[in-house]
Amino acid sequence: MINISRRRSLLLLTLVALVLASILLFLYFKSSSDQTMTYTESRDLIRQIKQQNSLWENEILKARVALTHNYDPLVSPMTEMNRLWARFDAIEAGHGRNDSAQWNDAHEGFLQAMQEKIRLVEQFKSHNALLRNSLAFLPTAEDDIQEQLANLSDLDKLQLQNITTDTYDLLLSALEFAQLTSDDRAADIEVGLNKLKVNAQRLPPAFEAPIKIMSNHISLIAREQPLVNQLLESIENIPVAERLDTLTTLLDRDQQRADRIDRQYHFYLLLFSVLLMLSLVWLAIRLIGSFAEINRVNTALQTANDALEQRVEERTRELRDAQSELLDAARQAGMAEIATNVLHNVGNVLNSVNISSDLITRKLRNSKTQGLGKAMQLINEHPHDLGAFLCEDPKGKLLPGYLNQLVGAIAQEQQEMVDELNQMNKSVDHIKDIVATQQSYAGANSMTEPLFINELLEDALRMNAGALTRHHVTVVREYAEVPQVMGDKHRLLLILINLISNAKYAMSDLSNRPRTMTLAVKIVDDSFLEISVKDDGEGIAPENMTRIFAHGFTTRKEGHGFGLHSCALAAIEMNGHLTAHSDGPGKGALFTLQIPLISVTENA
Amino acid sequence: MSLFHHAIVLLLCGLCARASAEPLDEPLKPLPAVPQQDVRRVELGRRLFHEPRLSINNTLSCASCHQLDKNGADSRALSLGFDGKPVAVNTPTVFNAALNFRQFWDGRVETLEEQSNVVITSPHEMGSDWHTVIERISNDPDYRRDFAATYPDGVTQANVQQALASFERTLLTPGSRFDQYLLGNTDILTLEEKYGYQRFKEYGCIACHQGVNIGGNMFQKFGVFGDYIADRGNPTVADQGRFNVTRDEADREFFKVPSLRNVALTAPYFHDGSADSLEKAVDVMFQYQLGRTPTEEDKRLIILFLETLTGQREGKP
Repeated sequence: MINISRRRSLLLLTLVALVLASILLFLYFKSSSDQTMTYTESRDLIRQIKQQNSLWENEILKARVALTHNYDPLVSPMTEMNRLWARFDAIEAGHGRNDSAQWNDAHEGFLQAMQEKIRLVEQFKSHNALLRNSLAFLPTAEDDIQEQLANLSDLDKLQLQNITTDTYDLLLSALEFAQLTSDDRAADIEVGLNKLKVNAQRLPPAFEAPIKIMSNHISLIAREQPLVNQLLESIENIPVAERLDTLTTLLDRDQQRADRIDRQYHFYLLLFSVLLMLSLVWLAIRLIGSFAEINRVNTALQTANDALEQRVEERTRELRDAQSELLDAARQAGMAEIATNVLHNVGNVLNSVNISSDLITRKLRNSKTQGLGKAMQLINEHPHDLGAFLCEDPKGKLLPGYLNQLVGAIAQEQQEMVDELNQMNKSVDHIKDIVATQQSYAGANSMTEPLFINELLEDALRMNAGALTRHHVTVVREYAEVPQVMGDKHRLLLILINLISNAKYAMSDLSNRPRTMTLAVKIVDDSFLEISVKDDGEGIAPENMTRIFAHGFTTRKEGHGFGLHSCALAAIEMNGHLTAHSDGPGKGALFTLQIPLISVTENA
Repeated sequence: MSLFHHAIVLLLCGLCARASAEPLDEPLKPLPAVPQQDVRRVELGRRLFHEPRLSINNTLSCASCHQLDKNGADSRALSLGFDGKPVAVNTPTVFNAALNFRQFWDGRVETLEEQSNVVITSPHEMGSDWHTVIERISNDPDYRRDFAATYPDGVTQANVQQALASFERTLLTPGSRFDQYLLGNTDILTLEEKYGYQRFKEYGCIACHQGVNIGGNMFQKFGVFGDYIADRGNPTVADQGRFNVTRDEADREFFKVPSLRNVALTAPYFHDGSADSLEKAVDVMFQYQLGRTPTEEDKRLIILFLETLTGQREGKP
C-alpha cells in the first residue's frame, strides 16, 4: 500500500516536472521571438527612410537655388525610400502588424504622404527647371535688347533712355520677384511688360523678336515662380517625416509592450525555473531518502540473512548430528539385525550339528566296543589255559567268532561315526562361512563363484536332513538341466535353507496326508535361473501375502520374522527377486527365487 | 558676353587638360557599369525579348519594335501593333532604358518589370494575356527546362518579367566619346564639340537633359513657349501625356524627358515621332521648350555635341 502511494507520488512528481519543463520551453520560445531584432531593423529602416527624405529635401532646395542642374539626386532618394519601405513593409507584414487599425492608418498615411510628395516633387522638377532656365537666361535676353538699343542712333535720346530704363526695370522686377514673390511685384512685372509692349511699337521691327523672347520668359517667371514657391511650400508641408515619426512611435509602443510581455515571460520563466528546481531538489531528496531506505533495508536483509544462514548452519549441524546418531543407531540396528541373521542361520546349521553330535553320542553309547571289554574279561579269566579255553570251553570256543563279528561291527560303527563327523564338520564349516559372510556383510559386494545349483540344493537339503527325516518329509526333486553358473553361494544357501526350513515348518501340523516338498530348478527365457520350493502345508492367508517379506513379520510363535525378510533382501542383492504364491490357507505355498542366469562360460 | 563664355570654356579646358585623369563634375554624368546579374536570367531574357509568342498572334516580339540593330528603337514614327495598326506613341529606345526614372512617355510605370507587363497585355501592342503567355512558354520544353534551372518556381509571370528586365538592364551603351570626356579624357572631343556642349548648357537644354541618362529623370511640358501639338495638328489622346495617367490638369501634355544618349541614331523624335531629323528636333526644342532662337552656328555646334553621345553596344557603335 505504501509502495503504491509512493510510486504514485513519484509519478505525480515526474508529471509536474514534465509540465514545468514544457511550460518553460513554451515560454522560452515565446520570449525568444525575434521581436526585438525586427524592432531594431524596422527602426533602422525608418531612420534610413527619414535620412533619405532629408536628403531629398536638401536636393530640392539645392535645385531651387539652382546650385545644381542635375536632377538625378531628386530621383534616387525617392527610389531608395521606396526600396527601404518595401523592405520595411515585408518585415512588418511578416509579423502580422497589418492587423492593427492604428498601424494601418499610420501605414496608409505614410504611403499617401509619400505619393503626394512624389507627385509634387515631379511637378516641382518640371516647373523649377523652366523657371531656373528662364531666370538664368533673363540677363542675356535683356542684354540682347540693350545691345541693339545702344546701336540705335536715329531715335530720340530721351525716349531711348526711357526704353532702356524700362527694360532694365523689368529685368530687375523679374529678378526681385524671383527672390521675394509678392502681388506688388507681380503687378510691377505686369506694368513692365505692358511698357515693353508699348515701347516695342516705337522701336524698329528688328526689336520685335528679342523683346518677345524676353517678355515670354518674364511671363514664364511670373507664372512659374509662384507655382514653384507654392509647390515648395506644399512639399514642405507634406508630413512624410511626421508619418515616419508616427510609425516610429507605434513601433516604440509595440516594442515597449513586447518588452513588458518579455519581462513578464522572463518573470514566468524565472518562476517556473525555480519551481522546476524545487521539484528537482525535492525529487533528489526523495531519491536520497529512498536510497537511504534501500540501504537500511538492505542492511536489515543482510543481517537477517546472516542470522538465517547461521540458523541453517546450526540446523544442518544438528541434522548432521542427528543423522550420524541415526546412522549409528541404524548401524547398531543393522548389526543387531546381522547378528540375528547370523544367529538364525547359525542356529539352523547348529541343528544339523546337534543332530550329528546326538547321533555320534548315541552310537558311542551303544558302541560294540563294550563287547570287546567282555571278551577281554573272559580271556583274562583264563590267563593260563587260554588256549584250552579257546578250544574247549563252549564259551571260549565262541569267543574268536564273536571277536570277528565285533571287529566288523566296530569297523562299521567307526565308519558311521566318521561319516557323521564329516557331516558335522561340513556344518561347522558352514557356520564358519556364515559368520565369515556376515562379517563381510557390510562390504556387501557379493562374492560370486562357479557353482552347480543342484549340488547347492543337495547341500541345503542335507543341512536340513535331520529335521526333514524327523518330520517325515518326502522331498521331490524336479531339476532341469542347468549348466554351471556364477552365483553367490552363501546367499543362495541362506535363501534355500530358509525356504526349506519354512516349508518343513508349514507342513509340521499336517497329519492327514504325506508331507511332500518339491524342489525345482529351471531356466526361464534363457536369462533367469528359477529355483522354487513348494510345500503343501498350511498356506498363506491373502491378507498376509503383502506383509510376508516385511521385517518382523511371522506367524510362528517362536519366530522373529527375520527369515523371509533377509531372504528377500539377499535376492535383491543378487539382482534377483523372491516371490511367494499361495492359493489360500491350507492349500500350500510356492516360493520362487529368480536370479539372473550367468553361465560360467559366458563369464569366462 | 560670348567672349566671357569662351574664356570660361578655355579656362575649363585648361583645367581639364591639367587634370585629364580626373572625372569632370558636370550636370551630365557618365554611364554606370552594367549591374551584376545572373547570366542565366539574362540569357532567358534575351530569348524572351525575341519571343513572338509573347504577342497574342505570335507576330510581335519585343525586338520587333525595339530593334536591337536600330538602337533599340523603331525607325517608323509609330510602330505597328499585333493587329497591324499603329500604336499610340513613338517607340522609345530600349537602350539605357534601365536608367530612366520611369518607363513610357507618360511615365506610367516605374520599373522595367512593369513595363513588359503593360506592353504584353496592351490591346494595341501585343494584345496577349499572361495566362496565354505562361501556357505557351511552359509548353516549350526548352523554356521549361531553363526556367526550372534558373527560377525555383519555374515559368511564372513574375519570372518572365524579371528575365526580360534582367536582359534589358544589360542594354547599356557605354563608351560614347562624351562619356570618355566626362571620365577625364578631355582630348577626345574636338573644340567644336566642346563648344557645342557649352551651347547646350548655355541655351538651357541642360535644364531638362541632364544627369546620368542626359534626360529621363523628370517630366516636362511639351510646348512651354507655344502649343506644339496645336501647331502640329490632329491632337490625339496620347498627346495629353501624363494627364492620361494622373488626370491632373497640371500634367496635361507633360511627357517624360527622353534620354539624349544615342540621339543621333534614334530618329524619328518625340512621342509622336513628328520630327524625322535631329535638326528638326533641335529646332522644335528651341522654339517650343526654350523659347529662344539660336544662331545657325550654335545649332550646328549643338548637333555636333549631340553626336558625341552615341555609345557602343557590344563593341559596336
